[in-house]
Amino acid sequence: MIRKHSRRYAAFAAAAIAVGALAGCSSSDDTTDEATTGAADGGSADDGGTAAGGTYTWWDPYPQHTDGSDWGNRVQACGDEAGVTIQRTPYDTTALTNQLLLSAQEGTSPDVVLLDNPAVSTLADTGAIISMDELGFDTSAIDENLLAAGVVDGTAFGIPIGANTLALYYNAEILDEAGVDPASITDWATLNTALEAIDASGKRAITFAGIGTEEGSFQFLPWFWGAGADLTELNSAAAVEAVQLWVDWLDKGWAPQSAIQNSQNTAWEEFLDGQTGFVENGTWQVNSAAEAGFEADYITLPAKDGGAAPAPTGGEFIMAPAQSDEARYDVTRQIIECMTTPEGFVETAETFAYYIPPTAEGQEQFIEAHPELTVWVDAVRAAKGRTSDNLGTDYPLISEQLWTAVQAAMSGAMSAQDAMDAAQEAAAAATGN
Amino acid sequence: MATFAEPAGTRRPPKGRGKGRDKPVKKRSTWWKTALGVFFTALMLFPVYWIFNVSLTQRSDLRKNPPNIFPVDPTFEGYEAVFDQQLPALGTSLLVGLGCVVLTVVIAAPAAYAISLLRMKGGKTLNFILLVAQMIPAVVMAMGFYAIYVRLGLLNSIWGLILADSTIAVPFGVLLFAAFMSGIPRELIQAAKMDGASAWRTFISVVMPISRNSALTVSLFAFLWAWSDFVFASTLNRNGDMIPITLSIYNYIGNNTTQWNAIMATAMVASIPAAILLVFAQKYVAAGVTAGAVKD
Amino acid sequence: MTVASAAAPAPNGTQPKPSRVKQVRHPNGSPWIAFGFAAPLVAYLLAFYVYPLIRSIDLSIHDYNVRAFVQGNAEFVGLEKYIDVLTSPLFPKALWNTVLFVGISIIFQYAIGLALAVFFRNTFRLSGILRALFLVPWLLPLIVSASTWSWMMNSDSGIINSFLGAFGIGQINWITSPDTALTAVIIANIWLGIPFNLVILYSGLQNIPGEVYEAASLDGANGWTTFWRVTFPLLRPVSAITILLGLVYTLKVVDIVWIMTKGGPANSSLTLAVWSYREAFGTGQPAFSPAAAIGNLLIIIALVFGLFYVRLQRREEH
Repeated sequence: MIRKHSRRYAAFAAAAIAVGALAGCSSSDDTTDEATTGAADGGSADDGGTAAGGTYTWWDPYPQHTDGSDWGNRVQACGDEAGVTIQRTPYDTTALTNQLLLSAQEGTSPDVVLLDNPAVSTLADTGAIISMDELGFDTSAIDENLLAAGVVDGTAFGIPIGANTLALYYNAEILDEAGVDPASITDWATLNTALEAIDASGKRAITFAGIGTEEGSFQFLPWFWGAGADLTELNSAAAVEAVQLWVDWLDKGWAPQSAIQNSQNTAWEEFLDGQTGFVENGTWQVNSAAEAGFEADYITLPAKDGGAAPAPTGGEFIMAPAQSDEARYDVTRQIIECMTTPEGFVETAETFAYYIPPTAEGQEQFIEAHPELTVWVDAVRAAKGRTSDNLGTDYPLISEQLWTAVQAAMSGAMSAQDAMDAAQEAAAAATGN
Repeated sequence: MATFAEPAGTRRPPKGRGKGRDKPVKKRSTWWKTALGVFFTALMLFPVYWIFNVSLTQRSDLRKNPPNIFPVDPTFEGYEAVFDQQLPALGTSLLVGLGCVVLTVVIAAPAAYAISLLRMKGGKTLNFILLVAQMIPAVVMAMGFYAIYVRLGLLNSIWGLILADSTIAVPFGVLLFAAFMSGIPRELIQAAKMDGASAWRTFISVVMPISRNSALTVSLFAFLWAWSDFVFASTLNRNGDMIPITLSIYNYIGNNTTQWNAIMATAMVASIPAAILLVFAQKYVAAGVTAGAVKD
Repeated sequence: MTVASAAAPAPNGTQPKPSRVKQVRHPNGSPWIAFGFAAPLVAYLLAFYVYPLIRSIDLSIHDYNVRAFVQGNAEFVGLEKYIDVLTSPLFPKALWNTVLFVGISIIFQYAIGLALAVFFRNTFRLSGILRALFLVPWLLPLIVSASTWSWMMNSDSGIINSFLGAFGIGQINWITSPDTALTAVIIANIWLGIPFNLVILYSGLQNIPGEVYEAASLDGANGWTTFWRVTFPLLRPVSAITILLGLVYTLKVVDIVWIMTKGGPANSSLTLAVWSYREAFGTGQPAFSPAAAIGNLLIIIALVFGLFYVRLQRREEH
């Protein structure tokens, strides 16, 4: 009987504890808040939040690089150099953005964070990250066009750890068979002629990624800018022409239907099958292209009337989230400096196959080590930031309308003109212009 | 407990009798039923086969048109990666899943008993609240947990994750237990009371044994939901030393490249221990004295 | 009543008499005892659900852009976000898609789940193992199963089109055409929901006493009439809860749609839940307030069905 009673009491006790814990957590807000701000995520006790020694937290969007990988070791080495331990946590990109906002709200931000470049202006606007000036980091050595994505009202809030961009890869065997000389492709007309020839030879002409996310806009922008269109006017004649180019590829059967929902990775996998002439893809596929079962090479993306189309810059920026304990910034700066020496940039470039270093000095050393990649360095130098042109935090809003419209036109739900008219209207409403 | 388990055990014969009763019918029709069952299962599991197929496919063949129905020229690099890297995560997932099962049943079963059989005041309201609770998006729940855990220091602990994951299953568990318990004949409960059993005794030795079936169902769901949770794990347990399989699968999804064969191999390997668990659980459900316990 | 009588003797000896008398007087037991059993749950709900629920409402009645979210100084806007959502041109489309997605998913999941449960009720060789195997789809991380579906439904290199092609059916652009994208995600979602329905309904069937069937077969009823006259009515409480829960879970489905189509193309597979997710996490500029407003509208929709369920239950009791 004692057992019986004690059981019932145990249940009540458990409930009481739970209620007590709840009350405790709401009443002790103030004191615990103080204890956790500035400390590492999770409020680990060994972290006093002082500048000397201790643990510094580092978040990046590279879950494929586990602890003990080259990248993981490099991050640790920079911590060692600054005399601290770095606790590195990789997230996938969506989760990282989410977690960053949540931690900024709770005052548990990491010391260093790496994130895709269009996010920089949004984060700067929230006050969650500090400017490079405030951190005491000198950004003068970094190429202006690559830094641009991190600049808000003349102040830099992050620096690129490397930059990538897009090009047109091709399957040399298929082009040969169809009698197409890649050197002849200089503008849209010659590109279309080449695609038609490949199609006639029985192969698929081209594939790309039209997915309904930022990736889709990233892939579309070279054609959009290459037609002379501007992101502030989505329904201009040039913009509609760019959409029509993609729509025609699908309608004529030159590109597969799947392109509408393809991610860049999927488009690349389609290309690797060896049945496709061209694929629009990025620097990061250089190694994979070399290992493909056929001869693969690349050319720059052509603009409508000739010349190279301005491709968007891709790649992550390194940022310093705001801390309540400002004494931490000194070490944070040392860590970032260590990651961004010319040698450091070249190492990053090699780890990420290939991030082109964003400084002249880094680029020189990189070309020395990889002369065959000179084309990419040139492409990156000519590339354009997505949030440039003073778009800043308006860019994500416009981009969302852009990818929605391109998908709608390609899937046949709307004409190119109607889709872009609707996009312009929605973008204007969203940005308040 | 032991004293009660025995009498319950001696009640097995009816089940044996039931089996005998089915036998003549069974003999006649068993073959085509098995065939049909295998066909249905094959149809249902085709996507699973496809995952297996992709897990063995070379990267260059991934988007082959038409696709290879069988993994011709298979590669095992996906499985190599998994056995090198994923086994600890598998253990974590199992632990979290089982912890979640225990917590869910311990909280949900007594509450359902109160609502359905003790006719608790406000039980209907509680049922209703549970329904609303399930509608709160997981992401909002995770934000709430984050705010609470930061203050309690529960971030990145396995117990914190178990607690958070249990919120997916507890409301469901109460509703399901209550739905099944309300089917228990009142006379059974009354008889226990007449014999002087307290509410707690009645619960432990009458209600729970009869509800074994629903307890297993709830456990199954609690396990599966904890097993497949991503949002809580990602928000609350990213920095932990032990991360579950749904997170570690992201090791193969880079910012621009995806290692499909390793992802699919992880999914295949991860589902094996859980599948074995399921087969046993199902056997137990089938063996459970269900309707038999109520009759006579 | 063997269980009860077997169970009872042990406490009998030591149980003080007064309690017994008391319980006879209050046939349903003291209200405090009932509350005691529910106390852990109530504490649990208070601890873990109240805050998120308040937070969700708070997000929806303030203007939480990213800056305000971080700094916590959002402007109070009342019901403005709800009005924005309700008057958005996307709303009727998303609502109709939600109705189709939820309605069709539930009908098929339930019907198939029930058919399989009845089928598996007969024990035959391998039935236990096959039934367990039906749950395997559930063990797969959603990112894997959803990716696999979009893989199989790929317009050009998908196995489904290549299978249909063998029967002379031309290429169907499952997830790339606005005409079929919703159908495609519904198919995948039905597949995902079958195990849930099978498990609960099978469990419900197990609770129907075998005598009922014996009686029915003595009356000369065949399988079909037994099902409609006996099984189906007796299964009604379990069916109701299965459908209700299925409804709640289907209303909030995001992952599978998001991974397969992102709600596109041209919003053709955009449901309310996916819309909410897209507002919050699908773009570079998180908008938490409209996302929360849509989420709360979903809660209200679920509440309406919950009320309906409670009324149904009440009628059942009378």
